[in-house]
Amino acid sequence: MPAPLPAELAKVDPADAWQPWAPSAAEPWDHRAVAHLFRRAAFGPSPADTARALADGFPRTLDRLLVGEPDAAERLAMCEDAGRYLLDGSRIRLIPDFGNNNTPDPAVPVRAWWLYTILEGGHPLREKLALFWHNHFATSYAKVGSIRLMFEQNRTLRRFALGRFRPFLLEMSRDPAMLIWLDSNQNVKGAPNENYAREVMELFSLGVGNYTEKDVQEAARAFTGWHHSPDQTAFEFNRDLHDDGPKTLFGRAGNWGGDDVVRLLGDHPACARFLVGKLYAFLVSETPPPRPLLAPLEDRFRRGEYDIADLVKTILGSRLFFSAHAHRRRVKWPVEYAVGAVRAVAPDRVPLGDLIDPLAKMGQVLFAPPNVKGWRTGTDWLNSATLLARNNFAETVAMGAWPRRSTRQPQNGPEAVTVKDAPVAEVVAIDLLAMPASAALGAAAVYGSNVMTDPAGVDHLTVFSPIAPPGGAVGSPIPGAPTAPMDPRLDPALTLFEPKPASVAEVVARMGDALFGEPAPLAARRKIEAFLLDGKPSLTAAQLDTPAFKARTRESLHALMQRTCETVI
Amino acid sequence: MSHRRDFLGRALGGSALLAAGPVVPEFLARAAAQTPASDKDTILVVVELAGGNDGLNTVVPYGDDLYHRARPTLGLTRREVLRIDDYHGLHPRLTELKQMYDNKQLTVVQGVGYPNPDRSHFESMDIWQLADPGRAQTNGWLGRTIPAMRAREAGVPGMFVGQDRLPVALQGADGGVISLADRASFRLQLTGNAAPRRRLIEELNGGTDGGELTAFVRRRQLQTYASLQKIEEALRDIQPANGQPRRPDQPQQPGNDLANLGGKLNLIGRLIQKGLGTRIYYVSLAGFDTHSSQADVHADLMQEVSNSIGQFFGQLGTEAGRVVLMTYSEFGRRVRQNGSRGTDHGSGSNLFVAGPKVVGGLVGRHPRLDDLVDGDIRFHTDFRRVYATLLDQWLGVESRLVLGQVFEPLPLIDKAKPAGTVDIAPPRPKD
Repeated sequence: MPAPLPAELAKVDPADAWQPWAPSAAEPWDHRAVAHLFRRAAFGPSPADTARALADGFPRTLDRLLVGEPDAAERLAMCEDAGRYLLDGSRIRLIPDFGNNNTPDPAVPVRAWWLYTILEGGHPLREKLALFWHNHFATSYAKVGSIRLMFEQNRTLRRFALGRFRPFLLEMSRDPAMLIWLDSNQNVKGAPNENYAREVMELFSLGVGNYTEKDVQEAARAFTGWHHSPDQTAFEFNRDLHDDGPKTLFGRAGNWGGDDVVRLLGDHPACARFLVGKLYAFLVSETPPPRPLLAPLEDRFRRGEYDIADLVKTILGSRLFFSAHAHRRRVKWPVEYAVGAVRAVAPDRVPLGDLIDPLAKMGQVLFAPPNVKGWRTGTDWLNSATLLARNNFAETVAMGAWPRRSTRQPQNGPEAVTVKDAPVAEVVAIDLLAMPASAALGAAAVYGSNVMTDPAGVDHLTVFSPIAPPGGAVGSPIPGAPTAPMDPRLDPALTLFEPKPASVAEVVARMGDALFGEPAPLAARRKIEAFLLDGKPSLTAAQLDTPAFKARTRESLHALMQRTCETVI
Repeated sequence: MSHRRDFLGRALGGSALLAAGPVVPEFLARAAAQTPASDKDTILVVVELAGGNDGLNTVVPYGDDLYHRARPTLGLTRREVLRIDDYHGLHPRLTELKQMYDNKQLTVVQGVGYPNPDRSHFESMDIWQLADPGRAQTNGWLGRTIPAMRAREAGVPGMFVGQDRLPVALQGADGGVISLADRASFRLQLTGNAAPRRRLIEELNGGTDGGELTAFVRRRQLQTYASLQKIEEALRDIQPANGQPRRPDQPQQPGNDLANLGGKLNLIGRLIQKGLGTRIYYVSLAGFDTHSSQADVHADLMQEVSNSIGQFFGQLGTEAGRVVLMTYSEFGRRVRQNGSRGTDHGSGSNLFVAGPKVVGGLVGRHPRLDDLVDGDIRFHTDFRRVYATLLDQWLGVESRLVLGQVFEPLPLIDKAKPAGTVDIAPPRPKD
């Protein structure tokens, strides 16, 4: 058995760090190890994930994470069906508001759709990497202005998430959303626009300091004429506007075109270093590593023709990954936080549209990173406003009180909806029969699922969503009262009290299992038990089975979700 | 030791945390030991003058005959203005700002604007707030700044102090802006057994296990509760006991009411002194659309601006060196006065950048009055150069990421200056 890695990262031998990890008596494949792997490689472990991982052992579990569930391809096809359906404005009507001028945000469905794909696509590691690449190739709907193009770019991110970087970079350089986002369309012979040329070096492949201004200018010339087709659906090479004169890039002269730039970027020694550094921060630790530590990974990545899956597998299967150097070294991104909380605690599908506004308050709007550099990650995710948003979102989950899962029912079909008393900004009416079953499922997941039947006997999916108070942030919770009544189907107590617990301690243990895949630390459990007992020495099984006790259980679940370990993973 | 107590006092205010048991203060004290007191973030306060401030009667080219000819009744004379040189003078009511100018704590940026000026309030305000004459941006410039900005201290990065709709400038700052009009946006949602729940959350975050990152997050979590409390306290301090907004017939207490600029800046001053980590504050003062009988209205507004800003910096004491304040308006006004003793919408104007760490003085020449475009002065300084300078040199945010291009900086900020305080002499009795 190898000696444990040194406690000081600078003293870890890089060759040892990336050796395959083998569970041992000292470092067993147990709840803690499973939970760590699933927090990083997925969106947290469900009790079923944990049970299966423990039964299968570590190597099979890692393999499964890399390829997804056996039916992942079918699931993805279903998800994409649902996505295309949601994108089609002619089939889904977002009826703007009653009484004030809030226009429904047309990008909400596609944001919720991605969350749906994360949850239902059968391949959480791929989705996690797609999220990483979305931040890497940060492109925003705010400028692109087309949901369809963002959706198509998202498909590309997913397709290459665990693929090879060279063709990935080439594809992103021709991606219509990207061509708009970084002004490639305006890059023409004689009047080059350097936007893409600069960012492809600074942010997508090499990092600052690894190229000159001259390189940027020459690359911009090489990319001239890389435009999208007039209908924006595809890449189009505009030969007339391309500068085919000689250029010198990284000291090499030639009549370079855009493909050559992408190739030369891949040949550049900084490329592997830059990408490995970013993936290390995402998968292992946000503590900057000593430079030599990553050298073996960089070599392997470069020599293996930038095989992302191989790199990710090497990292996740390494001794360093299962050491204290990786444990609890990263701040959860808002999407990880929200999806993780929902998966851990909600007993049924939640209306995913309800995650979008809280995610914005936590600082992450999918398809709209703040700028081309992407989101500021790590501790920069956490300020008083965003932490408050995490707190308040956890309350929604713990209380099972989802705004869109309204119990109000419209009267006579979507045209005749009368909603006077209710905070309603949009009603979405979808004719369920007119869409494929898979798309209907997706739409239901995104919007919630109030099905109502119109006078003609057709089922419609009708959705209520919270409005912004005048001048205020959208959907802010009202102090002292839940924003929505609890939906009994989404009450976390459903799972925590099934089967009926015999003791307070058992309830608390189940909370830890649900949230973390492992028990909460003893001191925390004791504090929660005291809160649940509320001054009484003990409670009988009958006393546990009361609404008041269940209410306290939800409250303490919320508190437990606010422990730092829900934020630091 | 006093340093440590100071930190605890600032970080926790009157929070229940202090009563939560011995663990919390001890752990916070360790955190305090790691945070040098000098390591505080800089702050930007943006004051919007809504309606189109008359720049020519704010910074007055009194030495120019063309000015007096264009403004036979509205023109301010050599005797009236607060002279800063042989050509320029400040509006007579800008007494506090004049003192700051003399102390090199006020910079006047002249001839600020953008090409093809739009004279619609709405359009032009959007252009300034989006920092985009093409108006292709959907998020405000400060909304784009906040996600790109670091904050060393815990706190809400951006705050709108006002009762209106969140200004476009601040929109789009996902996770980072609160509006004081929307109390719910800074309330911790705790239904049911609120007090014991809050205690439980604090207890669960009071441990000492885990590494540096865990400790950091714990601290932020607890500081979040403290921040919310500080905001609540600051609001309570300035509002009537019954919590109701002042009725129009109630006497207005100067500097103690969120309905006026002084009250808003006063609240911001309190929040800064309480150590709230907010780095961008935004306030608005309306009423500058002076189409008729401008003189008195504009004079009152000038006084409110000057007095409020002077009071604000005075109130900040030694904290003043952390703060830069900028004013702006969506446009200036036509050079020639109109037939109703007012002025109509114009273009290009001036703005103030104030604080102990500004360079001070005039930046850029006064636009020539014999070279007008459609009766308006010709701008020479793109307003985004002001933004870019404040982003790069004051807030430490790469302006290119926010503005989409690189702008030539202006000589506005001098970080090397000793911090100093802003001392305003008491007003002289009126003649």
